[in-house]
Amino acid sequence: MSQQKKHRILMVSDFFYPNFGGVENHIYYLSQCLIKLGHKVVVMTHAYKNRSGVRYMTCGLKVYYVPWKPFLMQNTLPTFYGTLPIVRTILIREKITLVHGHQAFSTLCHEALMHARTMGYKVVFTDHSLYGFADVGSIHMNKVLQFTLADVTQAICVSHTSKENTVLRSGLPPEKVFVIPNAVDTAMFKPAPERLSSHEIVIVVISRLVYRKGADLLVEVIPEVCSLHPNVRFIIGGDGPKRVRLEEMREKHSLQDRVDMLGAVPHAKVQSVLITGHIFLNSSLTEAFCIAILEAASCGLLTVSTRVGGVPEVLPDEMVVLAEPDPNDMVLAITKAIDLLPQIDPLVMHKRMKKLYSWHDVAKRTEIVYDRALRCSNQNLLERLPRYLTCGAWAGKLFCLVMIIDFLFWRFLQLWKPDREIEVVPDIHLMTKNEDTWDSSADESLN
Amino acid sequence: MVDPEMEPSTITKGIYTYVHDVSQGPPESIDVHHIIVSRSRAGGIIFCAYAILFALICLLILLLLQRCKAKPFGMLIISNIFNWWNMMNDCQLLIQDKSVAVVLWGFTLAGFLLRQSRRKLVMKESVIILPAFGVQLETFYMRHFFGLVQVSGRTVRHFVPIDKILKPVLNECVTPVTCYWSLSLIIREQEQLLLVFKELYPPISMLVPIWKALCASINEEYAD
Repeated sequence: MSQQKKHRILMVSDFFYPNFGGVENHIYYLSQCLIKLGHKVVVMTHAYKNRSGVRYMTCGLKVYYVPWKPFLMQNTLPTFYGTLPIVRTILIREKITLVHGHQAFSTLCHEALMHARTMGYKVVFTDHSLYGFADVGSIHMNKVLQFTLADVTQAICVSHTSKENTVLRSGLPPEKVFVIPNAVDTAMFKPAPERLSSHEIVIVVISRLVYRKGADLLVEVIPEVCSLHPNVRFIIGGDGPKRVRLEEMREKHSLQDRVDMLGAVPHAKVQSVLITGHIFLNSSLTEAFCIAILEAASCGLLTVSTRVGGVPEVLPDEMVVLAEPDPNDMVLAITKAIDLLPQIDPLVMHKRMKKLYSWHDVAKRTEIVYDRALRCSNQNLLERLPRYLTCGAWAGKLFCLVMIIDFLFWRFLQLWKPDREIEVVPDIHLMTKNEDTWDSSADESLN
Repeated sequence: MVDPEMEPSTITKGIYTYVHDVSQGPPESIDVHHIIVSRSRAGGIIFCAYAILFALICLLILLLLQRCKAKPFGMLIISNIFNWWNMMNDCQLLIQDKSVAVVLWGFTLAGFLLRQSRRKLVMKESVIILPAFGVQLETFYMRHFFGLVQVSGRTVRHFVPIDKILKPVLNECVTPVTCYWSLSLIIREQEQLLLVFKELYPPISMLVPIWKALCASINEEYAD
């Protein structure tokens, strides 16, 4: 039986460590599990403050912090062709075989995928969010997504709802889109060693306090729940522009002793906050997947969530109580959850989550997508251009022009600095506990 | 035992040539590593040619834009394909309109002259390892007249005592447009790394033997 071919993957996104979030965690955990499967993974992102250059993370995950400063909401300035030289250099020096871009809102991702296709690499795109269709921002974002996905080899979405949304926005054929849900690090998110007492019910909310995460709903729900259930207490972790509204609500209803506002909670401390509660409340107005409720379920909390986006696909029915994004419905759902609490065993819940969600499983499924992408045929520029024409009457022609100029620029770079002048980086193998001597393969490849 | 008349070893790659020279002299052998740049004078001429090509392209675009005002774009292309005589006439008209032509050519020429005059031409950079004493970093510049006439110019030398060097390291540097390897010294009680080659970007195959030699000399120092 032939050995499965190992890939050399370049993950590209504007969203990576040292920032914390769903996309950042996804890239990090997926990269770690792919490295454990024997693949080589390199991450490319923009510089963060003075974090610029090459860094190595756990298991030798190499990260290029390219000194393109973010200009708006963590995204690098879109220059169309400005990133071509550095992307080309990284692809050649790391001997990359496949480029994997993350998040539709990342300009670096879109540019890198465009340049990678120009240079003939296979590309995979993962969409992590849901977007609308009607507002000006969404219309422009969807057009950009159409352009990028017109020529993508394969795409991944984190839920079936997200797949439907991506297919409608981009016009991508559904057979090209795979659904691979996110996972949770169950080793990190464990329940409390001792079960909490039930005479006081603690409801935990941990999210960014912004409109999109339903902070306005919380303002309506919390006073109502506190008046209906005198033994209920809230713990709110997170920060954002809506924090002021929550604090005003707390003052107005004199709930200072029943609503604790913790402020921004570092990701490493999230588990310690979750295990102080019985119920996790998620009031998001839109979610493609929602890793937060996975983390809460892994810690043994019963989840109450709005029925939006991909949330209904995430947890089994006995672990979640869903409600419409309406204050009255949410209050009813919280009441139902309080009644269900005696039936919940946090340890059983944690073990179930361990079986259902695993980053190793996500990595194996992603590996299948990579294999499928690499089996696709190579196509030259003339064969690829007609795909862009389908993007619109004027947009199609404009996209074709953009790709032609990108191609010419790439050819110019090949003349200016041929591929053979870009030195290949040797693979450095980390020492394991069993090895007493330094691995000499690095020296050999340098020589 | 090192042969005092040992032939220096060389590696050539692109415009860089690496020469390793081990000379025997009191009290011990001195390890010298040179990175020499060989620049062809054709470089200036090629740049000139690209500048002229760029100016011609600007001229053509300006010509097309001027004619665009009178005709729709599609008709313009068709009429120009079959009407080269009109285009020649327009070129003459444009050249006659001296202000536009002068601005275009002036910018191109000024850019070229500015670039040539401000270029610091490095002839060679050397690393001299004096065992048990220190490391001397030398940079030899060329004096030039717009890249055409080149003579030997100033030399900048920097000596680093051996006890100040904590470790030599090979770094990957990332710029907005490229990545390259560099050899640096970690100096005790200093936050900044000291670049061994300040002006040149030699390939990794040339940096590795120098790095190994530096590591060996520092390890010998602390092995005693």
